[in-house]
Amino acid sequence: MVIAITTMTTAPIATPEAARLFLQQILSPAFPVGGFAWSQGLEWAMDQGAVTRTTLPVWLADWLDHGTGRADALLVALALRPGADHEGLDDLARAACLTCQRLTETQEQGAALTASLAALTGADLPPLTLPVAFGRACAALPLPRPEIVAAWLLTQATGLISAAVRFMPLGPLQGQRLLAAMRPGILARAEWAATADQDALASATWGADIAAMRHETMTTRIFRS
Amino acid sequence: MFDRTDPAPLMQRSHGAAHVVMGARGLIDLSQRGSAKAMLPRMTAGLPEIVFLNTSGGLASGDRLRFAVDLRAGTRALATTQTAERAYRAEAAPARAEIALNLGTGAWLDWLPQETILYDGTRLERDTTVDLAPDAGCLLLEMIVLGRLAMGESPRHLHLRDRRVVRRGGRVIHHDALALDDDALARMTSAAMTGGAPAMATLAMIAPHAPDLLAAARAALAEPGVTAAASAPPGRLVIRLLAADGWPLRRQINRLLRALRPDPLPRIWQV
Repeated sequence: MVIAITTMTTAPIATPEAARLFLQQILSPAFPVGGFAWSQGLEWAMDQGAVTRTTLPVWLADWLDHGTGRADALLVALALRPGADHEGLDDLARAACLTCQRLTETQEQGAALTASLAALTGADLPPLTLPVAFGRACAALPLPRPEIVAAWLLTQATGLISAAVRFMPLGPLQGQRLLAAMRPGILARAEWAATADQDALASATWGADIAAMRHETMTTRIFRS
Repeated sequence: MFDRTDPAPLMQRSHGAAHVVMGARGLIDLSQRGSAKAMLPRMTAGLPEIVFLNTSGGLASGDRLRFAVDLRAGTRALATTQTAERAYRAEAAPARAEIALNLGTGAWLDWLPQETILYDGTRLERDTTVDLAPDAGCLLLEMIVLGRLAMGESPRHLHLRDRRVVRRGGRVIHHDALALDDDALARMTSAAMTGGAPAMATLAMIAPHAPDLLAAARAALAEPGVTAAASAPPGRLVIRLLAADGWPLRRQINRLLRALRPDPLPRIWQV
């Protein structure tokens, strides 16, 4: 028996409507990237009681404004720009990962995203770290760059919140309330990222870095970071 | 203890640049101008030492300071600074500091400057750039203290861009940039930021064998009063440290340096 595998059309996505559907599809938890496995050190912080139901919104805001959320938003935005040097940005993205699990997280998810897109479109591209791979995949979409970055940030925040929902006494609806409350911050961060330059790649979340490092030596853990 | 609260005489801009070129048999070239000086004390043990000094007494608005080291093939050295660097309140343009470290084949540099103290209102942009030949390596330390802690000063206004970039063969392999502004300062007490710790440090080793030292680094992280952790991405060892005061931080770093390197601590530190 011959099984025909249908590939998605490789024709460019020409309309904003089609582009939004594409974005929704590749950012959906059903798209095989494996985001559910990672917590960016949040698991250790919750385990230690450093992050609780009450302080989770603060952790998320710091992630967005001064941490890896900000850094990844910038990397996505840089990768979206016309003529972006994706290999150079990929070097930068890996160099800016200061912990082992964080590096594995961004590389494995980026490789999975690239492979999944290749299976759909037939495009054979080298794997990149997650934000750069995502930016490359969306670079030709007829959508404003802040919209693409904001959609990315919403998915990343969803991943962190669902990690919290699985780890601590936090109901799914409470999690969704937190996510809704992040909307203005996400939109502002996406606007910032769309025009910021590469020199703005920085962070101030040393506590989150230490949490990510300490996660490596946790004896029992659900998440891979 | 006699620090002035208003560093009035610092309005005049200072410029300085010091550049040291060393080979395996010692100094090859030394150039210095303006407020930047470099000294090479005679060493009886350990690595040859380069001691940089900013004679202007600190970094104020519009100041420019550059320290550079070139190590030729096979040269090993340690570079440090004579005193803590003070960054003062700046009304206008930020102070800019540039550290350029160029390491040839098989060269090794320990870049172990003393801490940078950021006064309230500081505007400082500092770039530390390391260019490594294929088999060169380095150890990079950065200690930052927010405010004059002995005076109970806790800065509320700050503009800091402090970036360390390491390239090998022209490709970036390590990028660690700290950005602090008024918004970040207002949020420092949260767990993801520093938990309110005003003394911060990062020690990073960039070398193929650096990950082999992860266990030794973790075992050395036992100083009371310091929150710290280590990780080792391929070709790197990175240690983040936070403390409520500069002294426990310094003690922890001394302990780490003894665990990670065979050479004595910088002589200038042992005061």
